Amino acid sequence: MRVSVDYDRCEGHGMCEQMAPKLFELDDEGMLIYHYEGQDLEGELARDAEQAVAACPVAALRIQR
Amino acid sequence: MTLSATPPVFDVDIFADEILVDPYPIYKKLRDAGAAVYLAAHSVWAIGRYDDVRAALLDYETFSSARGVELLEDLANMGTVGTILGSDPPKHDMLRAVLSEKLAPRALRGLRDFVDERAEAVVSEAVARGSFDAVTEMAQLLPVGVVGDLIGLPKEGREVLLDGADAIFHAFGPMTPRLMERLPKVQAYLQYTREMLDRDKLTPGSWGAAVLDAADEGRIPVEDAGPLMSAYMIAGMDSTVNSIGNFVYLLAKNPDIFAACKADPTLVPKAFEELLRTESPVQGFFRTTTRDVEVGGVCIPKDSRVMLCFGSGNRDERHYADPDRFDLQRNPTDHLSFGYGTHGCAGQGLARMEVPAAITSLLRHVDSIQLNGEPERNFSAVVRSWSSLPVTVTVSDAN
Repeated sequence: MRVSVDYDRCEGHGMCEQMAPKLFELDDEGMLIYHYEGQDLEGELARDAEQAVAACPVAALRIQR
Repeated sequence: MTLSATPPVFDVDIFADEILVDPYPIYKKLRDAGAAVYLAAHSVWAIGRYDDVRAALLDYETFSSARGVELLEDLANMGTVGTILGSDPPKHDMLRAVLSEKLAPRALRGLRDFVDERAEAVVSEAVARGSFDAVTEMAQLLPVGVVGDLIGLPKEGREVLLDGADAIFHAFGPMTPRLMERLPKVQAYLQYTREMLDRDKLTPGSWGAAVLDAADEGRIPVEDAGPLMSAYMIAGMDSTVNSIGNFVYLLAKNPDIFAACKADPTLVPKAFEELLRTESPVQGFFRTTTRDVEVGGVCIPKDSRVMLCFGSGNRDERHYADPDRFDLQRNPTDHLSFGYGTHGCAGQGLARMEVPAAITSLLRHVDSIQLNGEPERNFSAVVRSWSSLPVTVTVSDAN
């Protein structure tokens, strides 16, 4: 599965970083860096990704299977 | 899945005072009656299960905000219709962009010290009295000061904001005597917003000035500037005040939670998320269906008013284990209290700054807090809060 990010919708609430710090990071400016852009996720990373997607308060993250 | 021929009818009036005291057992009955039920007392549908509420919030095309998010469409037409709360994308997104420029957590980073200082000032002054009303002498003061300054409002005359917000929140529910008697407050508040939409009144560089800039630059239509500034004011006051009050009540009634948070203030943000879940300041908002929609086997017809019950979804045993238990370790970041999706609360970053700041200051200043008299519940249909919380504190020596 892959995660797609709607960067226009992202407001930097940081819930994704809380749930999946290996995948998502807010930089010093509060902008989102998604470390696995375009990559397939499996196992633990996939589970963390699902939690992060569920946690985004503005639904800026989507799962693509 | 076979669609049920008749909708499950729920005949409890969920907005009656005796239910507002403790709505949770009724919410459970509502969830168990069906994924969507028809509330006979108010001729409106209600969705109470977590998954369905969330799905509806995400599906703004089917569950539209454009006819307002109040129960009554007549009140909606004078209320949220056409505002950021009461519009769908693309109009909504254009308005949201102006607010989130200032309210996105990345924009708030520079404000932490300001918020902490204000929290400290408000809390220490209240605590010094020993006995005080945690709502009227503490909770209400912080957001009025913080948000008032950020919007750039003059210091004098802000009293109208809290009364206005309270009155407007009543207008989200049914027509009641309490709402009727508050209508003059709505008028006074609207008058105030009209007067404040003025560069001579607003502090340069403030959020209010930014709304005027957006209008001047054509990023939003001129007629949307007033309602947008109003959105800052209403949403930024009432719900935050209510949350602080709910938190103080929690601490006063639960010495173990008080002790845990005092010993380890890093627990305060987690406690806040769990408190938001168990006692959502906003219990629900409304939508209108733009098509026939099937929810859990029940068909809601097109053009139906539907209540999305955040307070119920947050207690849904289908999603949260032991949902009625306040669990300091749960940290439920997926609660529904800030909504979800495109209308997800734009100010949640500020709320997550203000409320923990107030509570952390309180914990630093006192060794105990108790209720000192009967608390008064705020009987308002979609709101869960206290209007008065008389408390006594013992002031900490280490200050």
